[in-house]
Amino acid sequence: MVSKTEESQLQQLENQVENGGGGAWEYLSLVRKLKLRRSDKVLKHGLALLNDPKKRSALGPDEWNLYEQVATAALDCQCLEVAKDCIKVLQKKFPGSKRVGRLEAMLLEAKGSWDEAEKAYSSLLEDNALDQVISMRRVAMAKARGDILGAIDWLNKYLEIFMADHDAWRELAEIYVSLQMYKQAAFCYEELILSQPMIPLHHLAYADVLYTIGGLENLQTAKKYYASTIELTGGKNTRALYGICLCTSAIAQLTKGKNNEDKEISTLAAAALEKDYKQSSPDKVSLLASTLKTMKLQ
Amino acid sequence: MAEDLVLDTAIRDWVLIPLSVVMVLIGVLRYFVSKLMRTTQLPDSKIIKEGQVIIRARNLRAAANFIPSKAFRARKLYYTNEENGLLHVPKGQGQNPQAQMLSDPNMAMDMMKKNLSMIIPQTLTFAWVNFFFSGFVAAKIPFPLTQRFRSMLQNGIDLSTVDVSYVSSRSWYFLNLFGLRGLFSLILGEENATDDTQRMMQMSGFGFDPSKSLGAEKDGLDIVQHDWVLPKFEQRAGDVLRKRLSS
Repeated sequence: MVSKTEESQLQQLENQVENGGGGAWEYLSLVRKLKLRRSDKVLKHGLALLNDPKKRSALGPDEWNLYEQVATAALDCQCLEVAKDCIKVLQKKFPGSKRVGRLEAMLLEAKGSWDEAEKAYSSLLEDNALDQVISMRRVAMAKARGDILGAIDWLNKYLEIFMADHDAWRELAEIYVSLQMYKQAAFCYEELILSQPMIPLHHLAYADVLYTIGGLENLQTAKKYYASTIELTGGKNTRALYGICLCTSAIAQLTKGKNNEDKEISTLAAAALEKDYKQSSPDKVSLLASTLKTMKLQ
Repeated sequence: MAEDLVLDTAIRDWVLIPLSVVMVLIGVLRYFVSKLMRTTQLPDSKIIKEGQVIIRARNLRAAANFIPSKAFRARKLYYTNEENGLLHVPKGQGQNPQAQMLSDPNMAMDMMKKNLSMIIPQTLTFAWVNFFFSGFVAAKIPFPLTQRFRSMLQNGIDLSTVDVSYVSSRSWYFLNLFGLRGLFSLILGEENATDDTQRMMQMSGFGFDPSKSLGAEKDGLDIVQHDWVLPKFEQRAGDVLRKRLSS
């Protein structure tokens, strides 16, 4: 998690570096420390540092970290030549290193030679089965090749050990949603809500999944999670407002009006939607009105 | 003692300063030796997994009220059931650290290396100080102290008449031993290996037993009462919306 102060510090450094004010190394260190993905900027400024022998030698042993960082960024930007050069330098300095081996495997992956990369990754994993980065790369690679089921397999294997990694759970949830395996996705979103109960996006996604599965019980639950999203976002999330309306109308359809479900919140949500639309896009108010009418909320 | 003891300047030149210098040099040497001997220990997958299970179970306990009760019950069963629950430790299988140490020679080796790099130089320097400088009054601190400090500052001199602000050579050795950490962190960087107190903490934390915390977590989960908070959220969401609409 990136804290507020770190974020502002990063922003400030980024502006400074972008406008040629120096501090490139500090910026790169911060990016590395916070594990952010700013590949284009890292590549640009890191390469400038590396190409300047005086600045490079001033870094001392951190020079090699910079090489690694730039190599990874270059792979991300498909600047394979740059990456190759960096990796070559690292290879010379650290022959037989596994960390460099990882970079080489990533280079193979970036080139698109999947089978070779796969082989390289597996041999690296044989040495150290607990390497999180490599396990994640394998998932990413399976996904890139279109082998979604393989990606699920690898992810599940990864989560069996690192089961507190919520980013992996989110990835798995998104994959399941893309495959329309909603029950599994719901489980993953539950797991995400457990690990970060105050993040409204998880509540929203969970509600979406439940609504899609359907059924009275799920719809009622989904409605509650849309409500919690509204509470957590201060009522500013349009999707959640729509979700409440949709859930209410779907529940009314299922129960044919027999169930005297509390409709107050959906009328409130509809009113909030109307207010938002009037404020930000008045020309679409009529569209909203007709949509709400079909949901019998107006 | 009315009149002050006069310390020979030769004591300063040949006892006080060499002692400090030697202590610093040994500290630096020890840092490099332990750096050479340090082996990167691959973490055991079982231990990592147990740690992760504990984190996940703790999350479940803390945020249980945010998921529907059906989901909670399923998870609780998954963690705590008596046959193959994640948190269930079969009796007698909880490895105790001593047995683990015996079965894993690497671990004992590691301990020994750590101890060797710490104890050997210490005994040697202590013997050296004792042999050459025993009984020296090596320094005087420029302020008076109460009698209680006698055992700290005048270790090795059994004279009750000497003023407490005089420091014996052996005490000077101890002061250096424990007081040079700040200097080492300046010379060797923040995370230097000569940090004795930290190492002692590690030693005492060695008996950490993951199966115990698994059991504790299981007990914690067993007594959690599930009370879904989402219905309350619905009402609160209504309030939020009302507020937004009226503003």
